[in-house]
Amino acid sequence: MNELALKELLYKIADDQLILGHRNSEWTGFGPLLEEDIAFSSMAQDKVGQSYAIYQMLNQLGEQEPDTVAFMRNANQFHNCQLVELPNGEYDFSLIRHFLYDTAEITRFDFLANSSYEPLAQLARKIKGELKYHTLHANTWIKKLGNATEESIGRLQGSLNKALPYALGIFEPSPLEQEIIASGFFAGEEVLKKQWMEKVELLLSQTQLNLPDWKTIQPVLGGRVGQHTEHLQPLLDEMSEVFRIDPSAEW
Amino acid sequence: MYGGGNTFEGIKTDSLAQEDPQKLAEFEARIARGEKIEPTDWMPELYRKQLVRMIEQHAHSEIIGALPEGTWITRAPGFKRKLSLMAKVQDEVGHAQLLYSAAETLGKSREQMIDDLITGKSKYSNIFNYPAFTWADSCFISWLVDAGAIVNQLANAKGSYGPYCRALDRICAEESFHLKYGHHCVIYLASGTEKQRQMFQEALNRWWPPMMHFFGPSDKISAHTEVLMRWKVKMSTNDDQRNQFLDMYVPKIWELGFTIPDPNLKKNPETGRWDYTEPDWEEFKRVINGDGPCNKERLEVRRVAEERGQWVREALKSPSLRYVTPLA
Amino acid sequence: MLLNRSIAFMMKPIDPRVNRLPGFGQGSIQPKAPLDQLGTYEVFVQAKEGKPFQHEGIVHASDIELAYILAKETFTRRFTCVSLYVTETRDVYVSPLTDGQTSSYELLPPATAGNGPTEAYEVYHLVKRGKQHVHVGEVMASSPQEAMHSAKEKFGAGKVVYNVWVIRKSNIRYTNEADKDLWLTLPEKKYRDAADYKAGDKLTAFLERVKHSV
Repeated sequence: MNELALKELLYKIADDQLILGHRNSEWTGFGPLLEEDIAFSSMAQDKVGQSYAIYQMLNQLGEQEPDTVAFMRNANQFHNCQLVELPNGEYDFSLIRHFLYDTAEITRFDFLANSSYEPLAQLARKIKGELKYHTLHANTWIKKLGNATEESIGRLQGSLNKALPYALGIFEPSPLEQEIIASGFFAGEEVLKKQWMEKVELLLSQTQLNLPDWKTIQPVLGGRVGQHTEHLQPLLDEMSEVFRIDPSAEW
Repeated sequence: MYGGGNTFEGIKTDSLAQEDPQKLAEFEARIARGEKIEPTDWMPELYRKQLVRMIEQHAHSEIIGALPEGTWITRAPGFKRKLSLMAKVQDEVGHAQLLYSAAETLGKSREQMIDDLITGKSKYSNIFNYPAFTWADSCFISWLVDAGAIVNQLANAKGSYGPYCRALDRICAEESFHLKYGHHCVIYLASGTEKQRQMFQEALNRWWPPMMHFFGPSDKISAHTEVLMRWKVKMSTNDDQRNQFLDMYVPKIWELGFTIPDPNLKKNPETGRWDYTEPDWEEFKRVINGDGPCNKERLEVRRVAEERGQWVREALKSPSLRYVTPLA
Repeated sequence: MLLNRSIAFMMKPIDPRVNRLPGFGQGSIQPKAPLDQLGTYEVFVQAKEGKPFQHEGIVHASDIELAYILAKETFTRRFTCVSLYVTETRDVYVSPLTDGQTSSYELLPPATAGNGPTEAYEVYHLVKRGKQHVHVGEVMASSPQEAMHSAKEKFGAGKVVYNVWVIRKSNIRYTNEADKDLWLTLPEKKYRDAADYKAGDKLTAFLERVKHSV
């Protein structure tokens, strides 16, 4: 088994889930509607929980404890795509990101359900229902607000335009992409991207939002090799503020 | 989370004279039998008004109560604490949702209630006007403020208004997670490093006075509530609740080797009740009337949240929407 | 009326999230628009296979699909759940509320024969005042009034029912059979349960340590 390639795959997925879960949790108590506040928090918890499960897998493979891995690394050691680290902005941006990311996420885990690495395949099968809810939630909101008022359509469109280059960054190939595919861990980013594009096109075609020609969108890359925006390090500093008071302490 | 007896205001019972005496007698008999009042039952105006005020204040306390602990939501140390605190603060928002719904069955819309919160017309539990300076403060809140809330809510869950009681049953079940989680956190701080112990001791020093205020003014100086007790709107007195809280939790705090910042605190063997330094009710009054360390911040956060969410709610409205009072 | 104010805070907020809030501390209090109020939807939950659905509460939403999405996390984020459905509050038909030995079915107004086609209705009973309405079954009828009478015949004999609800099935957003996996991982979310926070051993060890150090 190509452990290096496997770890790379696991790290980038776990880092994505952790950072986006963390970002989404910032909305708790500040949401636009009480019920939505609750729903968005649950999905943030799901994401953090999924990242925890994957860091535990990495721990089984000889990596450090999940808490150490999550709370003690610096930004350049994280392999999440840059989309997930961007600040929440207004709810339109958070929703658009949720839609773009979670559409990729459910598709990714659909592939992972057939991964040759059985623990990952098991996890993917187990969380299928969770991810289904996330996309049901995202699709319902985007269809709703993408067909409502001039303001809601305008806001979503602006956020869509802003998020798309970063969303394409989700599919930045890993340095060990070919090994990941050859080992049967995962079908690969290119295949994933193709399915994702179809799903995004289909959903947006049911709204009054315009999807620019894919060819005109320049993907923002670098996240998968530890290059990040200026937003990630402050996020990590904040996340680990208490933990780092004494990393050897039990909290 | 909620503390009872928030205000010194008395209630005017004049309106009772206008009520149909036979209906009033039937209403009181139903409550005396231990039956619940449901939204479509006849009820005196005063009952409706007091319940709306109480349930609404309780709901506000939940949504505002999400803020002091929310202070630490992005900084919780480690995966387990991170997940727990997210779920805990989420529950507070959920409690607000349940309680606003219960109040809605009495005829006041949620948006009106939120409006009254933001404009300062209606109150919320005073304790949330204090800041959570460190992680240990959030642990104090999860454990002891929630413990206080449970004392209050378990009592109120035996009250007379069906929708409120049902909401409280659900809330109390969730609070038991909060309490256990909070105690868990404090045990870890207590048995941890010197620094961790010190963090909690300092939090205890900060939070003890507002915790003593939490159950409301002493019975000696609070308004007469006989009719509310008879109608099972108010279920026990402020001092009884405070005493019950001290009975249950002072030994647990002492067990962990912490010092409660009140030299006079001890159980009186003769009365079986706790002696303590009388809380500073002037400060309580001052803070509840707006002059606490965080009052402005708390309301401003709610205002900003409402303002930022307005375009969303605006987009959701449609001509076919019609608001009706929910059923139960 | 617009109350413009510049806010002097007693202290700088210590929540980093609050310090990031756009517009924080610069706004004015504007009462919400009087009709900034969505509709309400009643939520019914089935905790386990074989158990009846039960009324749990309401959510605010703009339409039934959104109500369904929002109801899930509002009412079923703990323990177990296998199914959930929602309907608009005004689509629930309600019988008179009774007490003592009077069954609500005895107070039904005479049935008016509907002239529409026959449709299926879900029927809910309140059998203990103060508790939730619980599902008892379904009936076919051409109007809600007729559905009440059909429910009386089918479910009302020999018991005191304090309140009856009937809901047209066509007005309900159900959980599809294929979507029952939405709750698959729910029992594993133990961090939401009190039972997951056992610190007895830690406490005992601590107390032992203290005893020996004195």
